[in-house]
Amino acid sequence: MSPTRSADQQAALGPAAPTGSARAAAGAGTPGTGRASPAVHTIELRKCYRGTVALDGLSMTVPRGEVFGFLGPNGAGKTTAVKLLLGLVRPTGGEAMVLGAPAGDLAARRRIGYLPELFRYQSWLTAREVLVLHCRLMRLARARWPAEVEAALCTVGLASRGDDRVGTFSKGMQQRLGLGVALLGEPALVVLDEPTSALDPVGRHDVRMIIRGLRDRGATVFLNTHLLAEAENVCDRVTVIDRGRSVATGTMAELVGGQASVRLRIAGLAGRWWQPLERFGRWSGDRDWLLVEGIAAGQVPDLVAAVARLGGRIEAVVPQRPSLEDRFLQLLGEQ
Amino acid sequence: MSLTAARRGSAGPALTIAALTITEALRRRLVLAFAAITVAVVGLSGWGFYLLSHRSGITSGEATLVLPTSYILFMFMFSFVVALSASAIASPAVSGEIDSGVLHAIATRPVRSAEILLGKWLGLAAVLAAYTAVVSGLEFAVVGWSSGYLAPDPVPAAAFLFAEGAALLTLVLLLSTRLPTLAAGVIGVALFGIAWLAGVVGTLGRAFHITALDSAGQVMAYLLPTNGLWQAAVYYLEPHSYVIRQLASQIGRGDPLFTPTAPSAGYLAWAGVWFVLVLGAGVISFGRREL
Repeated sequence: MSPTRSADQQAALGPAAPTGSARAAAGAGTPGTGRASPAVHTIELRKCYRGTVALDGLSMTVPRGEVFGFLGPNGAGKTTAVKLLLGLVRPTGGEAMVLGAPAGDLAARRRIGYLPELFRYQSWLTAREVLVLHCRLMRLARARWPAEVEAALCTVGLASRGDDRVGTFSKGMQQRLGLGVALLGEPALVVLDEPTSALDPVGRHDVRMIIRGLRDRGATVFLNTHLLAEAENVCDRVTVIDRGRSVATGTMAELVGGQASVRLRIAGLAGRWWQPLERFGRWSGDRDWLLVEGIAAGQVPDLVAAVARLGGRIEAVVPQRPSLEDRFLQLLGEQ
Repeated sequence: MSLTAARRGSAGPALTIAALTITEALRRRLVLAFAAITVAVVGLSGWGFYLLSHRSGITSGEATLVLPTSYILFMFMFSFVVALSASAIASPAVSGEIDSGVLHAIATRPVRSAEILLGKWLGLAAVLAAYTAVVSGLEFAVVGWSSGYLAPDPVPAAAFLFAEGAALLTLVLLLSTRLPTLAAGVIGVALFGIAWLAGVVGTLGRAFHITALDSAGQVMAYLLPTNGLWQAAVYYLEPHSYVIRQLASQIGRGDPLFTPTAPSAGYLAWAGVWFVLVLGAGVISFGRREL
């Protein structure tokens, strides 16, 4: 396991302690050579707009090759954080390193794909021309342009509309085009800001497949979303932010797994037979169904075995894991 | 990266943005609209010059005053069209694209903000230059064909006409890095009008020996050289006989559409410096702007 992953796993337990600079942690900021550096590393990143705090000391680490969900309610500071990472705005304080270079570094930008939340492309160009424009701006070798453009059009389902003007596209098609733009040049980091906001269910499914394809290729995906189901489906790890601060970071299992519960339907036992088993969690329920809350992940088989040893006939066991939405609302409530 | 590659790399994005800006002007039918209006107006002026020279009954002596005056008057109107066009195409160039979000996808590419702004300036200036060249050439040819009158130096006149428009374009582009589209355009046109009025005041001050008015005109010509460049264009449209007749009377000397002398090398140098300063201010302003 690489030192970077160790550091990251430490950070997974909560906001990273602001020890040392982001530059040092991100591998001295040498684009192209910092293979071991995290895709994204921020320390106490802060942004104020005329006295209003948009981001209040965000510390996080996103290892390479991970699909990272950046979650939070509206106005939590998600888009501000994305703009800071891309160098569109300057931080009021703190540090941000992206692909081993300071945020906004031109060389690093060549390896970043970005779908903005406000996706607008030149309405007077065709989809193909928009993609060629971005190939040119990325300074890709001209010989690669046709293949890159065709691959992007096919991946986002616009192969048959490549020669149509963007002005004739629906919002969903424009978002697909934006996704295609973000995929050009095999980027090492793809930043997707609310990538399915204009898409129908088929489009959302397509986006999930694209994200999984990127992960398979080894790219890092930074998914900024407030759609929790979207994050739950594709993300390896998520950070939840609220009011500009990270309130929780971890894998899906870490975020929601610790709060598991299980419903049991038991026959053959009478009275408060479960009292010897209260070490597994909080028991409640009626004669038909019992609920054990707060049971640790992996303890359900032991619980079932213990019930059997007491002579109970186990008719049903229904493990219940709270959804990310439940956990999300709980975290925001705690704030 | 080698020095050559670095140089090529720094020029590339600006030229890409410039080409994009020109394509936008063509695709949005801006150029087509300008062309249609131009053909109509130049056609009308050709008809007018034909009537003036063939049907008005003026003598050849009167013609040496009437035809140059009419030609300069037409170009004066055209200079306003150029200026308004420059303001109209420059005002949304930055602020409009920030508001719409179009610029965000471009600004996150490996492109410097200076390259984006310089590219836009290059593209817009190229559109303006082409428009000025076509209209100036057409007017020269149509008037010559319909009336036989040939303005003396149409090429430098067209160049200064373009420079006048480019000055306003540069100023409005600077304003567009900070102000909303409408505000940038309106302020730019207002400043252009003020500069023109100050030029008229300065001309009257010189003709009637009122130093304060002369000075006001001079100061404004340095602050915003649009009128100074227009006066230079006028100078190259004036035949020698026209200059002599105008200088012969105080009214002629006070004519705001008359320029007795060529622009000084010092003033032209300052105009060049002004372009660099205002464009540089635009680059700095845009570089500091957060998207």
